Amino acid sequence: MSESLDDFRARARSWLQENVPEHGSPLEGPESRDYALAWQKRQFEGGWAGLTWPAAYGGKDLSVLQQIVWFEEYARAKAPSTHNALFVGMNHAGPTLIACGSDAQKAFHLPKIMKGEVIWCQGFSEPNAGSDLASLRTKGVVDGDELVVNGQKIWSSYADIGDYQELLIRTDPDSSRHHGLSWVICDMKTPGITVRPIKTMAGPAKYAEVFYDNVRISLSNIVGGLNNGWKTAMATLGFERGTASLALQISLGLRVEELIAANTDAVTGETLMDLRADAAALRAMSYQFAIKSETGPVGSEGSMIRLYFAELAKRVASASIDIFGIAAPDVLAEHGLGFDYFDSYSETIAGGTAEIQRNIIAERVLGLPRGSR
Amino acid sequence: MDFDFSEDQAAILSGLEQLISSLNIEAPKDAVFSAYSQALDNELTEGGFLDITQQEGFGLLDGALIVERLARLPVSVEAAASVLIAPAFLEDTTRRPVAILQGKLTKPARFLPMAKTLLVDTDDDLLRIEIPEGAVEEVETLFAYPYGCLKNPKALSSVSLGAGQLAKFRRRWRIAIAVEAAGLMQSALDLVLEHVKTRQQFGRPIGSFQAIQHRLVMAAELGQAVRWLAFKAAWSDDEGDAAIAATFAQDSTPKFVTDLHQFCGAMGLTLEFPLHHWTYRLRALLGELGGSSGQAIAAADAVWGSKNV
Ligand SMILES: Cc1cc2nc3c(=O)[nH]c(=O)nc-3n(C[C@H](O)[C@H](O)[C@H](O)COP(=O)(O)OP(=O)(O)OC[C@H]3O[C@@H](n4cnc5c(N)ncnc54)[C@H](O)[C@@H]3O)c2cc1C
Repeated sequence: MSESLDDFRARARSWLQENVPEHGSPLEGPESRDYALAWQKRQFEGGWAGLTWPAAYGGKDLSVLQQIVWFEEYARAKAPSTHNALFVGMNHAGPTLIACGSDAQKAFHLPKIMKGEVIWCQGFSEPNAGSDLASLRTKGVVDGDELVVNGQKIWSSYADIGDYQELLIRTDPDSSRHHGLSWVICDMKTPGITVRPIKTMAGPAKYAEVFYDNVRISLSNIVGGLNNGWKTAMATLGFERGTASLALQISLGLRVEELIAANTDAVTGETLMDLRADAAALRAMSYQFAIKSETGPVGSEGSMIRLYFAELAKRVASASIDIFGIAAPDVLAEHGLGFDYFDSYSETIAGGTAEIQRNIIAERVLGLPRGSR
Repeated sequence: MDFDFSEDQAAILSGLEQLISSLNIEAPKDAVFSAYSQALDNELTEGGFLDITQQEGFGLLDGALIVERLARLPVSVEAAASVLIAPAFLEDTTRRPVAILQGKLTKPARFLPMAKTLLVDTDDDLLRIEIPEGAVEEVETLFAYPYGCLKNPKALSSVSLGAGQLAKFRRRWRIAIAVEAAGLMQSALDLVLEHVKTRQQFGRPIGSFQAIQHRLVMAAELGQAVRWLAFKAAWSDDEGDAAIAATFAQDSTPKFVTDLHQFCGAMGLTLEFPLHHWTYRLRALLGELGGSSGQAIAAADAVWGSKNV
């Protein structure tokens, strides 16, 4: 007989209690890599890795309800944020390979990701191709059974500590916009790659510029077919916020409860009540969406949830500073609320800006006519 | 109220402009969180800009114009307390920079690492403390101003200026918050307007998208409102005006700052793009004197006497 949800919850809770690392992750550099990989390895060994991945690829193929329970317990246990160096591998590189990769690509990469052996990063954005991703110019020229890549990417999170990169490049020189692109697995140790970390206003170097100077990549590393990269990239972007964001959402709700407990001011109290209501609404929307997505295709409503989360995360981070004051130890500490606050600005930018999300929602959910861009 | 600068005001501002351009002040290019300029402080002192309110024929509004202009710079300098607050409470105004604090003496205060005098609102008294060398420990923050804490407040002698001074002290502090915020908002907005005019996506400047235009117009409106409320408060030196100006400044800041960063994309979140030189400071001002809820209560008291309602 299969395990009841309550039993599953109890099992998850007790494993997390015993295994969640005592200290938070270092914010940057090789230490943050080691921390993330060690945590992934521990989850794998405990049987808690790849919960959302299909069993055929070593995943646990949990039902959506089980995933929800897991992430509730995960957030409750204050387990390491799912938005860390493992994020790309677990939440979009892995799923993209599952959806579009060849058998050889899946067999080689998926176990490494799940066992905590590798860090992935994403190389989509370029200095002149941010919101307008389809204008990207980094090019790959076919030479025998290899691509020769030249150009530059930017904002590639964890590129300085990454092993592999999802690299989106223009492989048809005569193409424009979203035609003629390819999604390529790039080994970050290949000769010709230079990585320059960029410091954010929150402190650590979270992302990096990556330069490609005659970087040779085997054609067998193309995912989803030569010049068919836009389709693969859209799959990647669709995965960027899967159920893993549930853990972040639930943590956000718990954070609001902590703030309510710490607050003594009546006016801030009102703000906190608003935040609590928003967090509850977000959670309900997410659960509904997750459950619906198990039984059939879902539309672009995911963008609404994502945007709701992003805006709320920023407001919660701001309220945290208001409550503790900017010079409080909780605000100044390495993992402090000051860091969270400045870091939270990226919520409405990374992975597609709030404005681009609103354009999508307006057109695809509300059915409004497409504006000019 | 006369909205044009008087001849004297115009002369002072043009002198200040000359001083600023002679120093060639630019946003630091290296990745730094805070940029305090001692060189600027020296020049301002030398030029007599910081004791303007004590000079014949000049008042608080003239001081506010100077503080606002200085806040627009990408570097910070202690001017607001020296110009708008300290002269009302100190006999010796040369003992500056001046740090200001509300609450416990152990709390961190802006400019305390270089301050010679600290004014403290303890809730039931206004204290003046002279800061000897080595009495302050610097506090690292992300918030751009130099912050420090007194290492051992009990070892320092303080002079009581009396509870009767508190209302005026808070009033001046509120004016200082609003005036400084006005300058910070102006520079931040100018920078972002320039960015959205030049940054191209989808084959056009991003500033041509109405989604961006509308919100930048709202940001500009907030900036203007803060500016004129601040100058009105400096002109009237009135309790209600001061509290309203500070409430409005602190209330507007979160939305203003978030929108400005939003439109600069990932670049705006780096230390390589200068926007943080202003937004860090705006965020720091937001919490002072109890934040906007503190000011709102003071405004209600001053304007409607809400304590009696
Ligand atoms: C923390 C962080 C991590 C990131 N990690 C990665 C990564 O790992 N890999 C990667 O490839 N990229 C990454 N990015 C980049 C991210 O995808 C881009 O920042 C994002 O797509 C926006 O591009 P941009 O920064 O160039 O901003 P721009 O495109 O220049 O946008 C600036 C402003 O203009 C607005 N705008 C643009 N077009 C329109 C329009 N049509 N209508 C209305 N408004 C518009 C935007 O909404 C924004 O407010 C990351 C970004 C951040 C902040």
